[in-house]
Amino acid sequence: MTKVSKNIILKLDNLNKHFGGVPAVKDISFSINKGELAGLIGPNGAGKTTIFNLVTGVYSPDSGHIIFRDEDITSLKTYEVIHKNVARTFQNLRLFPRSTALENVMVAMQQHHAYSFGEAITHFGRWGKKEKEIKLKSMDIIDRVGLAKRADQPARTLPYGMQRRLEIARALALDPEFLFLDEPAAGMNPEEVNELNHLIVDIHKEFKLTILVIEHHMDLVMEICPHIICMNFGTKIAEGNPDEIQRHPEVLKAYLGEEVDE
Amino acid sequence: MDILLQQIINGLSLGSVYALIAVGYSLVYSILMFSNFAHGGFLVIGGYICYFALKSMGTSIWIAGFLSIFGAGLSAVFTERLAYKPIRENTNNTLYLLIASMGMSIVIENFFVVTVGGRFRALPPIIPTQPVHLFGLATTSIFDILSLLTAVFFLGVLQILLIKTKWGLAIRAAAYNLKTAGLMGVNVSLLISIVFFIAGALAAVGGIFLSVRYTLYPQLGVITIKAFVAAVIGGLGSLPGAVLGSILLGLAEMLTAGFISSQLRDLVVFSLLIITLLFRPQGFFGKNISEKV
Amino acid sequence: MSGYTEGIIILLCINFIAAMGVSLLTGFTGIFSLGHAGYMAVGAYTAAILTFQYEFNFIIAILLGGAIAAILAYVIGVPTLKLIGDYYAIVSIGLGEAIRLILENGGTITRGARGYPGIPPYTTLTVALCFFVVMAFLMFNLINSRFGRAFKACRDDYIAASLLGYNTSKYRVLSLVVSAFYCGISGALLGGFLSFIQPIMFDMVKSTEITSVVVFGGLGSMTGTLIGTFVITLITELFRPISQYRMLIYGAILVIIMVIRPEGVMGQQEFGPKMLKLLKRKFLRGNFSKEGGDINDKGI
Repeated sequence: MTKVSKNIILKLDNLNKHFGGVPAVKDISFSINKGELAGLIGPNGAGKTTIFNLVTGVYSPDSGHIIFRDEDITSLKTYEVIHKNVARTFQNLRLFPRSTALENVMVAMQQHHAYSFGEAITHFGRWGKKEKEIKLKSMDIIDRVGLAKRADQPARTLPYGMQRRLEIARALALDPEFLFLDEPAAGMNPEEVNELNHLIVDIHKEFKLTILVIEHHMDLVMEICPHIICMNFGTKIAEGNPDEIQRHPEVLKAYLGEEVDE
Repeated sequence: MDILLQQIINGLSLGSVYALIAVGYSLVYSILMFSNFAHGGFLVIGGYICYFALKSMGTSIWIAGFLSIFGAGLSAVFTERLAYKPIRENTNNTLYLLIASMGMSIVIENFFVVTVGGRFRALPPIIPTQPVHLFGLATTSIFDILSLLTAVFFLGVLQILLIKTKWGLAIRAAAYNLKTAGLMGVNVSLLISIVFFIAGALAAVGGIFLSVRYTLYPQLGVITIKAFVAAVIGGLGSLPGAVLGSILLGLAEMLTAGFISSQLRDLVVFSLLIITLLFRPQGFFGKNISEKV
Repeated sequence: MSGYTEGIIILLCINFIAAMGVSLLTGFTGIFSLGHAGYMAVGAYTAAILTFQYEFNFIIAILLGGAIAAILAYVIGVPTLKLIGDYYAIVSIGLGEAIRLILENGGTITRGARGYPGIPPYTTLTVALCFFVVMAFLMFNLINSRFGRAFKACRDDYIAASLLGYNTSKYRVLSLVVSAFYCGISGALLGGFLSFIQPIMFDMVKSTEITSVVVFGGLGSMTGTLIGTFVITLITELFRPISQYRMLIYGAILVIIMVIRPEGVMGQQEFGPKMLKLLKRKFLRGNFSKEGGDINDKGI
């Protein structure tokens, strides 16, 4: 197993995954450095979400390795990966619909504020103190993403843009080192995308995260991600900074579907 | 050796009846992705219609059979429209459908308890049950052979329907993906009704044979659990699987009854279920449904 | 207090306890099971044998009844709870039936299908009430803790839950073990109340009865479960003369609730300060305020 450099926090090594004969991900390799804000782009069906699913243990790769902080996490189960301080959001939103915004965040927050079963059923011991901590810290994060006024509203009644922010809040509550954001701006108008941009950049700095964002909105990615990886048909077709990517012929071909003369 | 052959034939006969029930059940599962626990109710309805047609109306077995098949099919459609459709339209959660189907099963069973009483009824001996000697190797009854042949016939008809007709194609498409089939222009509502009708009809045939074998009573539908087990062993949603699982189950039951003990029959059935679910939960031919994340 | 009323209260307590167990499993953790009567049977027979045959102290016998049911649930649950929805439901039916079959063929130990008579009548009003109060206290505490939230997360979206670091299998098993404990205790109390138990008392009919009261009260509301149990137990007692219709009514309740109001009487709400506030708002203002109101269930 190759030893990775001190800076690299996530390394994908020749990952392969196919579904019933159709290759979703083919020989994908790339690395993300600690503290980066990186972007993963590509047309629909390129395999971007599959990468997220592979890293977070939702799918098992057919071959290849995933190395996170010098540890091979390829065969770990989902919850085990999350325990390594990884968090993700979903393309299609997976909030707990009938729970309130606050409760959604608390479900994540309580992972770091445990108490025993015995204390839970008797409400003795650390129950009181920990519950208060969980609630306060959750409110904190909710406030941080601008949802304080909606904390007690059932998640399914929130406006779409706020639901997306709530998902991010929930992921943040896990106190991760690495955050996977899967199309956080999906369905947003330009103004909302702008707000989201600011939010992502802010939390990137404030929570000292490494973030990998999947996005279709070019304005989001190009503006905030200094490191961009472009995929198509399951393979990596380009990697570099926004300038390089914007001019890369393969990228243009993938999105516009034709060769563009320089 | 005699007993072995005999029990094998018994097993095949029982298994073929299970197959009729399991196939209908699996068919519904393949389209709607839920276990219709009320399936046993259609069986009982079929049995009672046949009984009363024979006894009170004095019709021939053919008419009684036809009425029973048609009646059970209709009641299946009715159940779907009345109970399942509103729930399906309101929520994605199959738990509610499961609970409702459990409720329907109880309603149907107890409807008969309350109206016609829970006592055991023997069907008029229209279906012959005399023993038959096969090539001097084993003794079985005409009944066993008949139930086997009837099951084969109906399953064959179903197979032809599925492969050669337009609706059959629609059903197979829907089994693959209901939503897409709808987008392709299939009238999903009508399709579901047709599927339920078929399920009910097949269950009725099974019900008639089971009534002859075990006598008719409202709780006869409970035997459907074994058909469920067969469907699971064969792979929920797979029709060939349902048939295979049913035959296996029938054989296992009869061989246990013949060689070990009659009491342990049911335990063997449930053990097979547990073993399947522990080692190969998708059964023989089951689809591996992964949720899209 | 008349003996009859006392009997009703004891029966209520017994039913409450079992219903709370099933509520935790089905309402809060989303696991549809039809075999919990089997766990009641295990509890009942354990306590019966221990008190009748071995003259154990009845409290220990009852607790052991619950414990054995819980252990059995653990052993069975670990391999089978990995199955989703329908598969588990079928397995649970099979397990419930298997337990009943084993008890019927248990020879001299279980006295077989004809039943086990002569159980010392240890379930007095005080005993029943004490068990109920304590177990209700523990259960309400449990659901109002990190475990309650974890169960609900596993119920609402097990993939999202696992992506929040939850080992959903572990929580499902825990839920089953606790619910089996409750059912076991309930069964043990039932045995001490009737002084007689029979395997057929713990068949799928019994399981369905408990499930239907939980559904009626509201899947996801422990208060609802208690209300549902109360209402249905009383109705059953009042309509004893037409008890043949009882099952018909149970079945119809299940269907009707699922069609008309799947969230049952209480929905997912508990009766507490929040609910009182809501009720006050509703009655004083006469209408729902728009923000934060309860929108008809269309599921995300």
